[in-house]
Amino acid sequence: MSCTVRIASPLHAYTAGASQVDGRGSTLAEVLGDLERRFPGIRFRMIDEQNRVRPHMRLFVNSDEARDLAAPVRGGDTVHVICALSGG
Amino acid sequence: MTLSALERARYQRHLSLQEIGVAGQEKLKAARVLIVGAGGLGSPAALYLAAAGCGTLGLVDFDRVDVSNLQRQVLFDSGALGHSKAEAGRARLAALNPEIRVVAHALELKAANVRAVLADYDLVVDGSDRLSTRYLVNDACVLLGRPLVSAAIHRFEGQIMTYVPRRGPCYRCLFPQASDGVVANCAEAGVLGVLPGVLGTLEATEAIKLITGIGTPLLGRLLTYDALELRFHEFRVARRRDCAVCGDAPTITEPHDPPAAAAREMLDGVRRLTPHSLQALLEPRSAAPPLIDVRERWEYDTGHLPGALNIPMSELAQRIAEIPRAGGAVFVCRSGGRSMRACTIALGAGVASPANLEGGLLAWAAEIDPTLPVA
Repeated sequence: MSCTVRIASPLHAYTAGASQVDGRGSTLAEVLGDLERRFPGIRFRMIDEQNRVRPHMRLFVNSDEARDLAAPVRGGDTVHVICALSGG
Repeated sequence: MTLSALERARYQRHLSLQEIGVAGQEKLKAARVLIVGAGGLGSPAALYLAAAGCGTLGLVDFDRVDVSNLQRQVLFDSGALGHSKAEAGRARLAALNPEIRVVAHALELKAANVRAVLADYDLVVDGSDRLSTRYLVNDACVLLGRPLVSAAIHRFEGQIMTYVPRRGPCYRCLFPQASDGVVANCAEAGVLGVLPGVLGTLEATEAIKLITGIGTPLLGRLLTYDALELRFHEFRVARRRDCAVCGDAPTITEPHDPPAAAAREMLDGVRRLTPHSLQALLEPRSAAPPLIDVRERWEYDTGHLPGALNIPMSELAQRIAEIPRAGGAVFVCRSGGRSMRACTIALGAGVASPANLEGGLLAWAAEIDPTLPVA
């Protein structure tokens, strides 16, 4: 299943500056695993050792928040990785 | 609160709007809005709220105007350099609209003063540049029952959400916890000057809508803006029943300053070095750990420690393989913030026991080598 992943600006260093990349997987966990294979280290910035979304990161599938990594991702969906920003 | 003839003339274009009219303009005149942070976001928010006739505007900022602010902080001009932001901002807003009252709060918001400062205001606009202040303001707004419009920016990207007590999620429902050591700020990451213009203006829009009671506020909706692609996205955010401050069983019942250890919880496994302890590690040179300078190239070129490898933060993810997994790599930057983030990234990528030079090269220059030029 192929989807689009939009990456929060503080994580662009992992994707060579790209704000949007393609992803593969039928669940959020699979999409993040796929991202990790191509952009090593990026998953750890979003997910902690207990497999929880870090409290300063939020993941959305299309417009809806996904708090569970088992959340389904369908072909054509967009996964958004959002990070708390501090700048003002 | 009735409008004078002068005010009717000044706000004519508002009065012509059926949705605002005299009643809405009178609500604006009666409104008391506190703007936290007179920076990139606070500047346009303050200017538009002042122009719109918001009767009382408070400006909180303990900083002074620096030349590097002028690229985006349109509340100030070159004549304000070195002046208190709160005071210079007050003077500018008073000149823009003498019909309103502007209060300068040249102080840092803390748990000890946040209740007293917020007490005189009905609505808060957050444009601060640090997460600890964002949480302090959010928690105080929840506890004191004040609506809050909160926005933040980074490089080319911004986000905004509105909170109204008992009507939707708060900032902590969106991001339960974050600390300043983990998320980059504008000074380190850079920011497109016009970006806060867009987000700060959206904040003013939300404030005016809340005051006059028109339209649909950004309740339970996070709006993000990508300036490079000129794209907005909207996300549904639900109130968390387990939110620490607005949840069913809150654990935060008083505004509090972040414990010094808050950031550290997320940074376990990172060693912290003083300049003197790093100096000891670097002798003898043959047994010294890998030394990684994560500043930008131009900063590195201005002056760096002997033997330091320059891997700017922006290249760290791609070049992580250049850092030995063993050997306890030491990361340095100007003041210790970027290098701390680099440590967490390195840790996540399998670099064992990374170390951070606390206080950065500024501390090194102060304590060890005053001849080291630090950009």
